[in-house]
Amino acid sequence: MGYVAVKGGTRAIEESIKRLKYERLKNGTVLDVGQIEGGMRSLIDQVMSESSLYSPLLASLAIKQAEGSPEEAVFLLRAYRSTLPRKHYSRVAEPERMRVERRISASFKDIPGGQVLGATTDYTHRLLDFELMSETEEAVQRWLSDFYEDSFRSDEKVPSEYFPKVLDYLRKEGLMEICEIDDTEPDDVTKKSLKFPSSRSQRLQILTRGQTGAVTSLAYAVIRGYGTLHPTVGELRVGSLPVYIDDPVNESQEEEESYYIGDVKVSEAEMLVPVTVEKERGIEEVEFEVGYGICYGQNETKAIAMGILDNSLEQGEARYPTQDEEFVLYHIDSVESTGFISHLKMPHYVTFQSKLDSARKTKQTEKVREGQKDEITL
Amino acid sequence: MKRKRRTEILINGSEKLAAKLADEIISRYEVIQVEEPNDGLVMVKVRESAKRSLFYIGEVLVTECKVRIHDSAGIGIVAGHKEELAFHLAVIDAAYQARLKETKDWDKQLLEEEKAIKSERVKQMAHVMKTKVDFETMDIS
Repeated sequence: MGYVAVKGGTRAIEESIKRLKYERLKNGTVLDVGQIEGGMRSLIDQVMSESSLYSPLLASLAIKQAEGSPEEAVFLLRAYRSTLPRKHYSRVAEPERMRVERRISASFKDIPGGQVLGATTDYTHRLLDFELMSETEEAVQRWLSDFYEDSFRSDEKVPSEYFPKVLDYLRKEGLMEICEIDDTEPDDVTKKSLKFPSSRSQRLQILTRGQTGAVTSLAYAVIRGYGTLHPTVGELRVGSLPVYIDDPVNESQEEEESYYIGDVKVSEAEMLVPVTVEKERGIEEVEFEVGYGICYGQNETKAIAMGILDNSLEQGEARYPTQDEEFVLYHIDSVESTGFISHLKMPHYVTFQSKLDSARKTKQTEKVREGQKDEITL
Repeated sequence: MKRKRRTEILINGSEKLAAKLADEIISRYEVIQVEEPNDGLVMVKVRESAKRSLFYIGEVLVTECKVRIHDSAGIGIVAGHKEELAFHLAVIDAAYQARLKETKDWDKQLLEEEKAIKSERVKQMAHVMKTKVDFETMDIS
């Protein structure tokens, strides 16, 4: 059969887009972007991290437009980001200089500065709170006022916002290799496509902008047996990381003359992975390696999962899918994976017709053969 | 005061201070806007602690503005969409670059604002430290 090229659907598409707007507005509710920014902290953090663009305001707008779909919001932000000029590169941000608001270790009970829980859902009962159905602005203001009064009367000596790294303890004990500082300029996957073998900077960049669910699932697979690790959280911290740029006019790299532009909130996880190392004369010793995870916002599961996958990819044994960089890095990006899966909805008439043709031809050939067989039997 | 500390105070403190300082300059000098406040991106480079290497965590939306006073250029750059603040920061930056006499009196105001920022942070941290775990050893005998 021959193929016929067709076009059409312009009007249907226009009406469909109108219908999409209707779905968003049909209840007559106008969702305020400020309210989304005020109350959807976790979703905003997830969207900023996956779109690799830090802007709570734009993330809130994207969430509104996408009616709360993270994959669509990330798509919108990635598209918008591509229209903006990249003006500068920051100076190196050191998470050690983070202003901490939460910091814990699952490996050591007594850590310098202590286990500081900050804001976490970890110890909540996960019971649906029906009182939120009738929460009023007055009640919220009252609660806040009590909270401030109760919280800020403390006259105890307040420790610094900066905490030492837990893992320095292991380094001092010689249980962990002390790496030299590596100032190699990182690769940038947004400028140059990924090729294998990948560099460490490419791997970490792809992991940190990976889709939260995909990164988490693959890290879970590592622990369940499709990998070799069973790590422990050496340190998990959430806080604000200050960002500076060098003076672009005088091209000075003097730190004191740099421009501070603001903070980004991040979650950072250092995962401890025990490994057996063969020392002199075949003596085996247990040492610890670190898997590193960090991402925009408070998204601890993703940071921990990234740490697991970082270490898994460093092992690089192809027999485990989670140590295969192509398997992991090509499948965790939100726009790439959701984009590919959802493109299957787009018209594939020609490709499908050609497959249908093949199937029909095979059937016809079979029928002819069966007819010939019958004749022979007779 | 050096630029790093100055910009930390002006961005973390009240936007009113940046507006006040910039207004002092705008009312007395000709400020030429070389680049209007506009949105752009800054790519953030991070050092990871496993191998202590560098990588890019992602971009930050910024507003940037460039001005000129006499022959001195000033840049205002701040995370987020903040056109007015970016302009004020640029004016203040140019004022320092041009060594205008007004800047000599600014240190006191900046230091006062810094004190206010620190005091607010101490309060915040005091509250965060309420969530520090106080372990008790259990008697299991």
